[in-house]
Amino acid sequence: MLRNLTLAVAVAAFAPAVFAESVFAAPVVGELAPAFTGTDVNGKTVHLADYAGKTVVLEWTNDQCPYVRKHYGSGNMQKTQEAAAADGAVWLTIVSSAEGKQGYVTPDQAKALTADRGAKPSDVILDPSGAIGLTYGAQTTPHIFVIAGDGRLVYAGGIDDKATADPADIPSAKNLVIAALEDVKAGRPVQTPESEPYGCSIKY
Amino acid sequence: MRKALSLIAAVLALAGPAAAQEANVKASLVPETLGVQPGGTVTVALRFDIREHWHTYWSYPGDSGEATAVTWTLPEGVTAGPLQFPYPERIDVGPLTNFGYENTVLHLTDIKVPATATPGSTLSVKADAVWLVCAEICIPEEADLALDIPVVEGAPPVNEAAKADFAATRAKFERPSPWPARFAVADGQLTVAVDAPELAKAGLTSAVLFPKSGGFIKNAGSQTVDTSNGELRIATEVGRRLNTPEKIAAAPPFPALLVVTGADGQTQAFAFEAKPGAAAAQPAGEGALSIWMALGFAFLGGLILNLMPCVFPVLSMKALALAQKGGDVRKARLGGLAYTAGVILSFVALAAAMLVLRGAGEAIAWGFQLQMPAVIVGLSLLFFAIGLNLMGVFEVGSGLQNLGARDTGNGVTGAFFTGVLAAVVATPCTAPFMAGAVGAAITQPAPIAIAIFAALGLGMAAPYLALTLSPALVRRLPRPGAWMVRLKQVLAFPMFGSAAWLLWVLSVQAGATALAAALAASVLAAFALWLWGLAQRGEAGTLARGAAVLAAAAVVAAVVLAPHTATTASAAVGAETSGPKSEAYSAARLESLLSEGKPVFVNLTAAWCVTCLVNEEVALSGQTLAKEFERQGVVYLKGDWTNRDAAITALLEHHGRAGVPLYLVYPAGSRTPTILPQILTETIVLDAFAPARVGS
Repeated sequence: MLRNLTLAVAVAAFAPAVFAESVFAAPVVGELAPAFTGTDVNGKTVHLADYAGKTVVLEWTNDQCPYVRKHYGSGNMQKTQEAAAADGAVWLTIVSSAEGKQGYVTPDQAKALTADRGAKPSDVILDPSGAIGLTYGAQTTPHIFVIAGDGRLVYAGGIDDKATADPADIPSAKNLVIAALEDVKAGRPVQTPESEPYGCSIKY
Repeated sequence: MRKALSLIAAVLALAGPAAAQEANVKASLVPETLGVQPGGTVTVALRFDIREHWHTYWSYPGDSGEATAVTWTLPEGVTAGPLQFPYPERIDVGPLTNFGYENTVLHLTDIKVPATATPGSTLSVKADAVWLVCAEICIPEEADLALDIPVVEGAPPVNEAAKADFAATRAKFERPSPWPARFAVADGQLTVAVDAPELAKAGLTSAVLFPKSGGFIKNAGSQTVDTSNGELRIATEVGRRLNTPEKIAAAPPFPALLVVTGADGQTQAFAFEAKPGAAAAQPAGEGALSIWMALGFAFLGGLILNLMPCVFPVLSMKALALAQKGGDVRKARLGGLAYTAGVILSFVALAAAMLVLRGAGEAIAWGFQLQMPAVIVGLSLLFFAIGLNLMGVFEVGSGLQNLGARDTGNGVTGAFFTGVLAAVVATPCTAPFMAGAVGAAITQPAPIAIAIFAALGLGMAAPYLALTLSPALVRRLPRPGAWMVRLKQVLAFPMFGSAAWLLWVLSVQAGATALAAALAASVLAAFALWLWGLAQRGEAGTLARGAAVLAAAAVVAAVVLAPHTATTASAAVGAETSGPKSEAYSAARLESLLSEGKPVFVNLTAAWCVTCLVNEEVALSGQTLAKEFERQGVVYLKGDWTNRDAAITALLEHHGRAGVPLYLVYPAGSRTPTILPQILTETIVLDAFAPARVGS
């Protein structure tokens, strides 16, 4: 009894304080998205803060990964990018594969890939050190984060809710990124703010 | 589409540097029996032989990956159960972690055949298996597999070639945890506590927690295991689903798999849903803040001890003595401080003893002193004697302490030992009420644990200390008078009550004979103290004193004897379960039962064998089994190998075993036993005694 009481009181009294001090590798949905600085395919330095006030989508990719191929091969990723652009959102595709590992691309290869795939990102950021990926706790390709105009992270997870490599599953899947973007645009809280990301591991 | 995709993948693979490579997984279907009876079940394995350094995935794949899946195409009326996954390995890929399998894995499916199936016919089953296989890179693969299963009459022959693989796979299947589990989150750590004293005591060589769902914990986080305090606790980094106070407040149950390896080298997987809650484990990373908290609560707990029936009478008398004495403030203060020192040092000494014993590997918790029958008898006699003293049967004039109202001025030393006595009489009250809190304190580093006990002692001493330090308070105490004698007598009854309670504890712990010895000791003690009281009043001479000494010696003898009657009694208590009644195994008993043609179940076990204890808890303690054994007249023989036993060793060796557990089923009239698996369920035992149900 006394122990239960002690712990209940201790937990109630100190949990918030403890959390305020904690540093999580993965960002917390609903809180400010962590700032980052990266280099895009044109050698330009990009800060998250450059897009303050705009909705920003971060997409981790690896063009060799079957799950990425599922969504690019079927046109599903391009469709999602177009939907974001139509809403005035910024789409940043990020490659965190380390040099020599699967999915690593040079700036020229990245540009060629964007053209070949008919992809519509606002920019492609090359992150071979994995710094941005680790800051966001990015696990898989694809793994998608949506940041609202006020800088808060409003969605983290998979592109949809069917965790397979089979493009045949796309029509019956719910596209959680498009849903989140619609919620943000309408000023509603995002209905599904988190999902389990699925795909290949990021080749840090 | 799937096929198109794998075709694309195959073409890509051909085009790439890996061109000459074959598929990374060789998949096949393997039946457990070569055929199936109408109405029966055949278990079919989807067997993967995986290329070296590549892996496939568990039902929850971890940070990336995808679980293997099968779509069955079956003849009409035939049904397939779910795909069963053995427990996985943890596979680290950079900063990420997956759960899966390397080299070889079998996924089992039970295929149920309708009773209408015709013997002599063949059932063609088809499996479309889809899986992801990864080294660092990942490739989705699939296979269309087919298997023809003949329908046969009678029990089908076992597929001997695959027998060992099936057994090894089943040994890796999860079982529902017989122990409740809970979890708590604090300071970025999630701690799962499994209330499994058997596991905590077992000297596990490894314990790994596998989440069955994402986001509760960081899959890649390192896990720390703690088996102190009678439970198994695993702490690791909390995941994204529980990373805010709001999410923690609304936490759902955490489904997980606990994979433990015992000192006997056997590994088992237990599945549970850990419940969130305030009754949660002591978080591993608890900081300095809660230490102050714990000290505060220990102090409060000490204060409360003053009101306990064991302590209150002693303290009241002490306080009233102070009031009666009045006057000498300095002496009173010294006495108060000495009393406080006595209490605190006694608590610290007990704590230190416990820490030393725990350090030496003894599985003890607070209250350990009450596990010894001799201590219980001693305390019971002490309470009885204090009660007699309060009744006025005898006075304590000098010596160790002054319990009564009449202070004979033995000063500082007397006050110190009164403190010791108060702490000693408080222990039976602390143990049941505070075992948990004090037990938690013990898991802290030694200096903190000692500080918590000191705070407990300080709390207990505080009221009396306050009285001695403040003459104003003393003046508020009621005036001494004749009523004090009455009050003293009334206060004897809580002491008698405490003594009676301890005797009950003794009866449970050590049985009726020990209880009789303790009661005899109480009568002798009463006689000795009465004589002592007569002598004190000058109503009897040297003879009475001599008799008192003799009676006291008899009390000591009774106390020493009482625990020796304990062993058989406590064993009898331990045998009380709702499961089937067992007899001790002996080769002769088994031989005579077999020659009578009786069905026999033999269980060779040991107290230090985790698997054995778990099986007994899970499979051998149910009422269903007890009733079935009774109905069939099964004789249950239990061989305890806790201590070396040549007869049991011989039986083990006869069956090619080096150790326990070993379960033997002798059907009625048979001398050839069936050996049951080392991981048992009640159904396995029931089925073993119901031959008609084989194959169903």
